[in-house]
Amino acid sequence: MVEDEKGRDRCRTGIDSLDNILYGGIPRSNTILLTGSCGTGKTSLALEFLLHGAIEGENSMFVSVTEASEKLLANVIPYDFFDKKLMSSNKLVLIDLPVLYERLGLMKAELSMEEVGLLVSGIMDLVKELKIKRLVVDSITSIGYKLKTQEKIRDFILRLAKGLSTAGCTSILVSEVSTGSQGYSTFMVEEALADGIILMANMERRGDLLRTLQVIKMRGTTHSRAKYVLDLTQVGVLMVPLLKGGGSG
Amino acid sequence: MTLANKVAAELEEMPPSSAVSLQVGVDFYLDAIRAVVDIYASKRDIEVVYVTATISYQAITDILKALEIDSSKVHFVDCISHTMMSSSLQGSQVLFVESPTMLENIMLKTEYLLRKSGGKEKMVLLDSINSLAIHNSNNVLSEFLHIFVSSLRSKNVNTLILSVMEHTSQELSNMVNLVCDSTIRAREEETP
Repeated sequence: MVEDEKGRDRCRTGIDSLDNILYGGIPRSNTILLTGSCGTGKTSLALEFLLHGAIEGENSMFVSVTEASEKLLANVIPYDFFDKKLMSSNKLVLIDLPVLYERLGLMKAELSMEEVGLLVSGIMDLVKELKIKRLVVDSITSIGYKLKTQEKIRDFILRLAKGLSTAGCTSILVSEVSTGSQGYSTFMVEEALADGIILMANMERRGDLLRTLQVIKMRGTTHSRAKYVLDLTQVGVLMVPLLKGGGSG
Repeated sequence: MTLANKVAAELEEMPPSSAVSLQVGVDFYLDAIRAVVDIYASKRDIEVVYVTATISYQAITDILKALEIDSSKVHFVDCISHTMMSSSLQGSQVLFVESPTMLENIMLKTEYLLRKSGGKEKMVLLDSINSLAIHNSNNVLSEFLHIFVSSLRSKNVNTLILSVMEHTSQELSNMVNLVCDSTIRAREEETP
């Protein structure tokens, strides 16, 4: 457990460069929006956050909304530090949200406000039962399409974030935005409600395509707001500063 | 004592976490590689990350093989094969960067290889600043060198920056000198 100079408890992501950018890690119990267009590395970074947590003994849960967890695992980077025992020991739990929808009787195309509450309760029951300290929802955008209205999306995020914070769980909500999008989320409410926003992007420079990461906001800590170039590798996410003399971006 | 041996002997004096500018005459290029990879690094059991922007990984390994130099502890970051549209089959000893303009990716691939390598003592050889200067402006190259060398120093890794004298402008030379602690000059007609 890491604390900053003001005593705020930190959740080290385990990604050294990101922890350096955040001066020690994500303030514990915060809910972070990890946003970006496709192919920017959001799922890999989120999964690595959980893996490091599980290795450190924090129960971690990945809620997959669109992709079956089996397929997710088949395509995951073969991390040097990935150990299947983390899953058999329930340190790392993968949940397919469609299965949860089915269990809760939420198979319809659009959920009512009451059903939003039911969905939050369903997730929170798992968090409490499994003593989850790190959670990833991939993606909040896909859930948003089932909730339809901004009101219901706001209600879902507020209730979930409150429940997770009370449970001492640090969470990442993955958000998908289209390339060139001006905002940080599809429904616009996600970015306003999150405690922090980490933006991942593909940046084209003179015909080269670079993966970048930038922390836009992070309540409860000072942080770098510079843009970094990243690489997804077997030893995890690596980052270096974007060279300023390198042109656009 | 050959010139290559003399260069290797000077490298022996290199303190930990330092950066050295290795300026070689064009006719000494292959001997310089021998001096660094074989006589210096191999004998001292140093793991080398060889960043090549001049000739491809395949060509370099062919040269090392022809010179009967053991390259088992040399890992390559090849930033030229993709640009040349030549074969870039992944091997256990090489990582490819799509273009020498992707300087951040050179840093990232080097970092990855340094993390993966098990050796106690590590060194990065940048071959060459002249080749990188063809593809990058002096501004961005200067920024790259500063960040790259500082980062390697902080990891206790030595850096060797190779330049070919005949192709090096004063401005480029000044840029390299700014980040290096010392310079080794080697060409056939003069003793380093």
